[in-house]
Amino acid sequence: MLLSLNWLREFTPYEGSIEELAAKLTMLGLEVEEIIEPFAHLAGIVVGHVLECKPHPNSDHLSLCRVDVGEEVLPIVCGAPNVASGQKVPVALVGTTMPAGFKIKKAKIRGEISQGMICSETELELGTDSSGIMVLDDNLKPGIPLVSALGLDEYVFDIGVTPNRADCLSVLGLAREVATSFDLPLNLPEFDLVEDAGLDCAREVEIIIDDPDLCPLYQARILTGCQIKQSPAWMRYRLMAVGIRPINNIVDVTNYVLMELGQPQHAFDRELLAGQIIRVARAKQGMEIVTLDDQVRKLEDSDLLIWDAEKPVALAGIMGGANSEIKQDSTEVLLECAIFNPPTIRKTARRLGLSSEASFRFERGVDQVGSAYALDRATYLMATLSGGKVAKGVAKAEPRPFVSCQINFRPKRASEYLALDVDETFCARTLTKLGCVVEENGDVWQVTPPSYRLDLEREVDLIEEVGRVYGLDKIPAHLPRISKSLDDENIDYNYDFTLKVKKWACGLGLQEAINYSFVGTQDLDLLGIAEQGRVLICNPLTEEQNVLRPELLPGLLQTLKINIGQGHKRLRLFEVAHTFIQDQESDTETRENNRLGILLYGQRHASHWPFKDEEVDYTDIKGLVDHFVQVFRCTPVQFKLAEEHPYLNPCVICESGDGKKLGFIGRLKPELAKPYKAKSAVWCADFDLDLVQKTYQSQEVKFKNIPRFPVVRRDMTIVAPLTLRFAQVTEVIEKLNIPILESVVLVDIYQPEGASEKNLSLRLTYRHPERTLKDKEVNKAHQKIGEAVLENLDVRFP
Amino acid sequence: MISVQNIIQDLEGLIQELEQSLDQASSFQELEKIRVEYLGRKGRLAQVMSRLPELGKEERPVAGKKANEVKQKLFELFEGKKEAIEQEKNQIDLATFDPTIPGRNPDVGSLHPITRVIEDICSVFIGLGYDVVSGPEVENDFYNFEALNIPPEHPARDMQDTLYISDKILLRTHTSPLQVRTMLKRKPPVAAVAPGKVYRRDSDLTHTPMFHQIEGFLVDTRVSMADLRGTLTAFLHRIFGPKTRVRFRPSFFPFTEPSAEVDISCVMCGGKGKIDGQTCRVCKETGWVEILGCGMIDPAVFAMVDYDPEKYSGFAFGLGVERIAMLKYGIGDLRMFFDNDIRFLQQFV
Repeated sequence: MLLSLNWLREFTPYEGSIEELAAKLTMLGLEVEEIIEPFAHLAGIVVGHVLECKPHPNSDHLSLCRVDVGEEVLPIVCGAPNVASGQKVPVALVGTTMPAGFKIKKAKIRGEISQGMICSETELELGTDSSGIMVLDDNLKPGIPLVSALGLDEYVFDIGVTPNRADCLSVLGLAREVATSFDLPLNLPEFDLVEDAGLDCAREVEIIIDDPDLCPLYQARILTGCQIKQSPAWMRYRLMAVGIRPINNIVDVTNYVLMELGQPQHAFDRELLAGQIIRVARAKQGMEIVTLDDQVRKLEDSDLLIWDAEKPVALAGIMGGANSEIKQDSTEVLLECAIFNPPTIRKTARRLGLSSEASFRFERGVDQVGSAYALDRATYLMATLSGGKVAKGVAKAEPRPFVSCQINFRPKRASEYLALDVDETFCARTLTKLGCVVEENGDVWQVTPPSYRLDLEREVDLIEEVGRVYGLDKIPAHLPRISKSLDDENIDYNYDFTLKVKKWACGLGLQEAINYSFVGTQDLDLLGIAEQGRVLICNPLTEEQNVLRPELLPGLLQTLKINIGQGHKRLRLFEVAHTFIQDQESDTETRENNRLGILLYGQRHASHWPFKDEEVDYTDIKGLVDHFVQVFRCTPVQFKLAEEHPYLNPCVICESGDGKKLGFIGRLKPELAKPYKAKSAVWCADFDLDLVQKTYQSQEVKFKNIPRFPVVRRDMTIVAPLTLRFAQVTEVIEKLNIPILESVVLVDIYQPEGASEKNLSLRLTYRHPERTLKDKEVNKAHQKIGEAVLENLDVRFP
Repeated sequence: MISVQNIIQDLEGLIQELEQSLDQASSFQELEKIRVEYLGRKGRLAQVMSRLPELGKEERPVAGKKANEVKQKLFELFEGKKEAIEQEKNQIDLATFDPTIPGRNPDVGSLHPITRVIEDICSVFIGLGYDVVSGPEVENDFYNFEALNIPPEHPARDMQDTLYISDKILLRTHTSPLQVRTMLKRKPPVAAVAPGKVYRRDSDLTHTPMFHQIEGFLVDTRVSMADLRGTLTAFLHRIFGPKTRVRFRPSFFPFTEPSAEVDISCVMCGGKGKIDGQTCRVCKETGWVEILGCGMIDPAVFAMVDYDPEKYSGFAFGLGVERIAMLKYGIGDLRMFFDNDIRFLQQFV
């Protein structure tokens, strides 16, 4: 909401500083976001008096003027046809930067010195007349700034009005707030509306409202014999100051009163309305209307229209129709002033993407009781500016007269709730000043809010008003004692667990990335991720952000791409985030899964001595995963080669002991590396943290006594085909269930280049918990293991 | 026949000779050579000793005693020299030791600044007795809007441009649904904070379509605005320092009443509005920066979760994590948070 300080002063005599007013409004909940000087571009333009004007000796269209600008008399060359001696004119002095961007310099024009420029309306951006220079009022004194000479609105506040304060979307509403808080009187504009008894408005037009819920009040006045022309300067400049383009004297008045009183009105050319009926009724599904902006609007049956006897003439509360628009030759005006149902207006305005100053106010609620005054005010201004006659009376239908609510209010509750020392006197005074009728009646008062405060419906709303006016900033600080029970069954461990995982990853030298939860479907397509189950956004900002991530990798790979693009050659990233898959069982139709993603790229180590240059490989990512499952108590786990994966090769599945898929590891397929600009292998892992968390929380740490007796270590080397997996060996050994076997560790893999076999060296550790082992029993066990390995696997000893 | 004198003379001669040899030795190899020459199994000492049996019976003890003395002395000399060389070598080693070579250092990990700020904030509230709760990012219209007193076609919906999955399913626009979800599960007193991702259909220099919020709320008997102010003041002092001034300004949120915006004295200029005479770019000369929104939980929300508004009252607040991270770390560009350039990430170790 743009509020001109001068306009405000017409309603309440505020004489303090701009800064104080801005601070006060802000602290009343009407945040002044900016103080605008709409005519700042006119600084440097002063009133000049043309003392002399004669033809330029070397030109047939230029004039040579001597202009008194207060301090001095300047020679100015002027090219306008209408310049004449004796005129008061706007002069841009040397050094002024014009709105168009150029700077006025002392110049020689065809041999004559010119020190300044006499300006036209267009050059000053005060209007569209560029036929000649602007001629000012004769009574102005030379030398005074143009801004004050024209009485322009120098300061305009841009106020962020919250959706509940519809009443503050007008000069009047804001003036009420200012008057209340500075204890000033509120003055409404006074005017004398002269009606022409010859024409009875109510007889001329009949108002029919189909659905009273959608339009509780519709009223109209008629003006005849209007002359459509430009509005006077004061009105044009004021509208410009608050960001509204002047159009003509009729339309400008509706805009002016909208800003002034907050009541949107619409003027129809009455000669273009068929019959003597105005009807408020819904649209028919699929019909069209051409609005004032010449756009064809396709309608639905929930849209509300204004109809004449034959056709729709306006989109109710949003915009008039082109078919009944006030034009240059209009003379008869029907002025509408109505109240419409807020959700209906909002729904249509949103669907059509057509938010107007009018719809913005109707959506939030307009003062039904105050609308009659607004209608009279606008009628008066129109008649004055257009010379039209006002028909007698008002055509009106008000099927739902405004009923104010009554609220029980306990002053004691207010002071407890706010923790402010607000006594009864303060409460009563404040509510009264805000326009409420207060019946002080023991502990529980009856308060009736004014018709323009539609946001005051409950006791708590009144408490807020009391606090707001007293000053919320005066509320003291007190740290409460929290007495909640600790044995809550619904304790949520997600935050704790997620943070633990993040710290684990950070501790292992990974860097945390946070990617958007959405990617583009083309990213998923590129990776071959199934279309089924994708959660699509139906109104995405861009095609690159139209689907929620079903897996973390599409996001982490974006991070990879960005970093490679920045010239980084080595990345160790992780991310913890939700993934999203359709799930009709869920109340949000989506299954969310908290997951951990890891991505390794480039060199294994930082590139400095004593490290060797080596690229990361499977053992790096696998090592992290081995560490992860151990730290988060998921062991034992199994790693299985997946037969196929859309974007990883190889892809290894990590399963828990009971066969649940904890996650997967793999290398980005080389053919996919290119779109992400990767020049070497990209290794990644993706783990289900919900599942890991469940496992982790179900495992209690149990202490086992530290064995006191010594171990015996025996090595075993087996020669195996290249296809043999290490886990096959351990499986065979585990099946034997040898109690004294403590562990089997792979200590070496020897696989010379080109060989068809590999050597696996195992170290077996034996220990008895209660005594020292004898060589004989170790030999026996070791031999048994050796035999079992030979028997069950296609291997031999060297 | 050899005489005792001869033997003794030879033995004493060994001492002198060894001293001379050792004087010239400067390395462990030379020392070892000398050791073998004098003290080895077939060394000079052993050779002299091997002649002892040739002496007469009565002369042997004298010579034997002398031999032992000399042997002792030789060993002492030798060990002395060995120590000296060792010491010298240590000194040289130390002089050439380069403590500045790079170590075999494990990689340094980092936590995203958003994670850091969320942890900082949550730990303050955990310390005050709050639980940390979580919930889905894809939400129902009911939890995100209706239960928070924002019915369909309410103009307050304009405050949050929403990304929709379907008519009634959307990406949560704030963490406030966690108020409703938590209160439906628990009975008062309830004190919880809910950090998480939120989404709006908005993208420009100062808005990203995804960002992070933390919602906090307390419901108990007799909770007042002073409790809200006390809690937020304590919290803001922890995050921004004890000198931070806190200002309450009336505002509007559909789910709180009264509602307030909270400003803190500008972290950049200390609330002065200017730095070295220049306008402070963070607070734009106002001396204040907006930091969070809050208020007393609206009775309409209590009605949705079946709490008696006459018996219980409560407050709620919501804050933007990116904004706090930007102020705390001096990050100027919001979009950096989600570019994940490692030059950005690695600063937050």
